[in-house]
Amino acid sequence: MNKQLGFFIDAKRCIGCFTCAMACKNLYHQELGVIWRYVYDLKTEVYPHRERAFYSLACNHCENPTCSNVCPVKAYYKRAKDGIVVHEQDKCIGCGNCIRSCPYGAPRHNPVLRKAEKCSFCWERIDSGLKPACVLSCPVDALELIDLSTYENPNVVQYPQGFPRYTKLNPSVRFRVAETPTIIRRKRL
Amino acid sequence: MNSMELPLVAFTILSQAAIGMVIISSVRQYAVEGPTGNIRAEWIVAALILMCGIAASFLHLGHPLGAVNVIKHIGTAWLSREAVGVSLVLMLMIIGFATIDQKVKPALAAGTALMGVLAIFFTGMTYAPPGYPALNNILPFVFFLLTAATLGTAISSYFSPKEKMPLLTLILGAGLLVALTVYLIVPFIWFSAGTVMQQTAVEYLSSPLYWLRIVIGLAIPLGTLIMTRTIPVWVPVLILTGEIIGRIAFFSLTLHASTNIGGI
Repeated sequence: MNKQLGFFIDAKRCIGCFTCAMACKNLYHQELGVIWRYVYDLKTEVYPHRERAFYSLACNHCENPTCSNVCPVKAYYKRAKDGIVVHEQDKCIGCGNCIRSCPYGAPRHNPVLRKAEKCSFCWERIDSGLKPACVLSCPVDALELIDLSTYENPNVVQYPQGFPRYTKLNPSVRFRVAETPTIIRRKRL
Repeated sequence: MNSMELPLVAFTILSQAAIGMVIISSVRQYAVEGPTGNIRAEWIVAALILMCGIAASFLHLGHPLGAVNVIKHIGTAWLSREAVGVSLVLMLMIIGFATIDQKVKPALAAGTALMGVLAIFFTGMTYAPPGYPALNNILPFVFFLLTAATLGTAISSYFSPKEKMPLLTLILGAGLLVALTVYLIVPFIWFSAGTVMQQTAVEYLSSPLYWLRIVIGLAIPLGTLIMTRTIPVWVPVLILTGEIIGRIAFFSLTLHASTNIGGI
């Protein structure tokens, strides 16, 4: 397998603080309402505990990206050297086909530019040897940058409950699922 | 798809109506004996309707001047294939109109009809993306083909001689019956699938748009055809109204997979 960068999301550690989403917003200054990274909380059917659990999600830089496949003007390409899916906004004509097609809702409509845009994996930072802003900012190390061509961890899953399962796309993301919280009861004296 | 997408409503309905018209026109000319009707007017009107649809599709783009670039990714993008397919149909319609001599040349009529069905298939695949589980299948093609069959036949009745009206009434009646059955069954099939498809089913069945489309666009026209045994001049208008309402429902009520992230 060629090098394929991806996100490791540790739902056991994530506290839902939105720092990753804010770091992305601070770096790229997206228009109002345009979100590249969002912290989704798991609904009670999936995680039925008073303590909540979260998935911090952006573009998954899929092995077979549907956004790239459906784009009629070839505004997307996948970098051979690390698998990052890049959106070239100057080529985009704003047809919205990628927005409709991605089941993870990663490409978003920019109402000012009237074009699509999405998480770039901070490829400029990656090329400079830096971590993506979201990974760097996480205060609890719940978000990590991984290379799926060498990554081995028996305790991770690709499609946990609450994350849409699209095997044809093969999203470059792995999760450690949230665990049942420890309930401590005081003994009656 | 969260918004009404009116330019796409106009584009899909008009292109499918125009393709349906030339298919029915070809059937009238060659599949049965008798007068063919005003073929010349029918083909130019179909071409004009298709041109209006294509013009409407440009309004959907954030940057319409870049529309010519949509043919760049024909290898994998259904939208690129759709653009090429619809353009070819328009070209064939114009050639058909320009070369009409009593009838459109048989090979050209058949070729236009076949290319038309292919273009509808391309459009169907364009609107069957993974992001919409309820539509990520053959359904959009079926919906669009039914629009071509019903609306195309209905508009074609304006150009048909009286001798051919029983044939058109039969075709339209059958099309409306199949469409009514499909549209009534589909939401209930969605109930048997995943959460997002189930939610889409609820959106459809609880929406007045869905029921208006059933009543105005399908049930009343079908009832009228059964009662009158012909196609009254106002029926195509009713079917067009139903198609517009139904297509707005198609774009605005279908739920995206990402709406349920974090859920079952």
